[in-house]
Amino acid sequence: MKKFLNDPAHFVDEMLEGIYRAHPQLTYVNDDKRCLVVAKPTPGKVGIATGGGSGHLPLFLGYVGDNMLDGCAVGGVFQSPSADQMHEVTKYIDQGAGVLYVYGNYSGDIINFDMAAELADIDGIAVKQVIGNDDVASSAVGEEHKRRGVAGIFFVYKVSGAAAAAMLPLDEVTRLADKARLNVRTIGVALSSCVVPEIGHATFSVGDDEMEIGMGIHGEPGIGRTKLAAADAVVDEMMERIFAELPAGSGDEFAVLVNGLGGTPKEELYILFRRVSQLFEQRGSRVKHVWIGEFATAMEMAGASISVLKLDAELDPLVAAPTNTPFFAHYKV
Amino acid sequence: MDAIRADDLIGLFQRWRDTFAEQRNFLIALDGKVGDSDLGITMAKSFAAAYDTVAAEGAGAGLTKLLRSAGAIMAKTAPSTMGTLTATGFLRGAKALDGKEAIGTPEAAAFWRAFATGIAERGKAKLGDKTILDVLDPVAGALETAAASGLALAPALKAAADSAEAELERTKTMVAQHGKAAAFQEKTLGLQDAGATVGVLLLKTMTDFVSE
Repeated sequence: MKKFLNDPAHFVDEMLEGIYRAHPQLTYVNDDKRCLVVAKPTPGKVGIATGGGSGHLPLFLGYVGDNMLDGCAVGGVFQSPSADQMHEVTKYIDQGAGVLYVYGNYSGDIINFDMAAELADIDGIAVKQVIGNDDVASSAVGEEHKRRGVAGIFFVYKVSGAAAAAMLPLDEVTRLADKARLNVRTIGVALSSCVVPEIGHATFSVGDDEMEIGMGIHGEPGIGRTKLAAADAVVDEMMERIFAELPAGSGDEFAVLVNGLGGTPKEELYILFRRVSQLFEQRGSRVKHVWIGEFATAMEMAGASISVLKLDAELDPLVAAPTNTPFFAHYKV
Repeated sequence: MDAIRADDLIGLFQRWRDTFAEQRNFLIALDGKVGDSDLGITMAKSFAAAYDTVAAEGAGAGLTKLLRSAGAIMAKTAPSTMGTLTATGFLRGAKALDGKEAIGTPEAAAFWRAFATGIAERGKAKLGDKTILDVLDPVAGALETAAASGLALAPALKAAADSAEAELERTKTMVAQHGKAAAFQEKTLGLQDAGATVGVLLLKTMTDFVSE
């Protein structure tokens, strides 16, 4: 393990201390740094909360800010935060219009968010949930409820954040967030492992000449281990699975996110996007919004994921809405 | 005792606290075979906090409010899976008894049915998965049968606790499907489930309390 650390046991809390010192627009509640919230919630707005394990920055807390999320419960590396932390975040960001939970499909997170929703219900706070399950490699069509949530949740955050900022009611924000969830697909490819600080060695090993398509952001097994192919061939194989579920025809419009997993340079991500863009062009479809960079990482894992959102007249303006968070700013052009 | 009223409930939580303090090391050892050994700690802490909370609120808060407060403090105290599931059970049980002032046989049946259903939903467990549900589902069933035949609370709970113990024995023949134990699969054969053991301790303590 070669990391900047003082003590592996303090990894998450020292990371959070740095974040609060760098970004005064964020604060925390209940005297617990892991209950991260916006310093100034908007009265009357639906609150959007997320949460999950650490080790994925900018996911999850990096999207707390203007026109995106209002709070985030922060867990240990790859561990769910507690129901109590989620409940504390919920109480603070409820501004009278209720709270929507948007998070990824992992059993620990589900148990705790369900529990938090039940505690919020006792307080009289209305809570709805939208659970991201965009990873096409993690289960077959027809078994979508078993799919993991990965980088595509970015689009669900963006849509729900914009809908809440437009002061829409909880049911409507939930409907739109769920629509985004149903129309986004992601597939990833890993080139190397990640190292959890408190474990100290690689979670798994990938040979120098190998790749694994479909690997999860905690190192969950993917579809198969093969020789690393040329970039265009890798994208073709990945996009085939996306197009099988989100048909791209003439005149269709999409938003695309090419995401680095932590150990892959941006140059390579642009080489991947070049091919992604060509494939949409061949189908006569338009990629209307593009983001390329690190949005959901797995510590130092080398690799990338491609997320695609099919747009319609309702989703397009919400995806295009400006946002400003410590890790992601998007202005009107 | 023919029914558990609010002031009795505080006494019952005291007994649950004592039981899980006594069984702490036994549960740690049991869970340590295929889990992460935190079950004994989780249960001892949860019920200590629950007793302190209901004792501080007092009988005046009423039966369902006390059960709800116990569930809420458990969720706060021990954020492990079993702590969250037990908390869910008490919150759902409280909901099922809304408006009631005493737990007789029909109320006990409603409480444990809601408790078991809440755990099944939250933990996404089904019967035979080698969990606490394998004990609590037959407990609720036994109490429903007892309620239908008009049995008093003490004998009804005795019948439920007996079926709980028989079912705990049966978990030795099951293969774990949930939690860290699931990774051990066949190695869990022959071991009684630690969560199901908690279920039996809950019922036996309640039965002893009511029968005295």
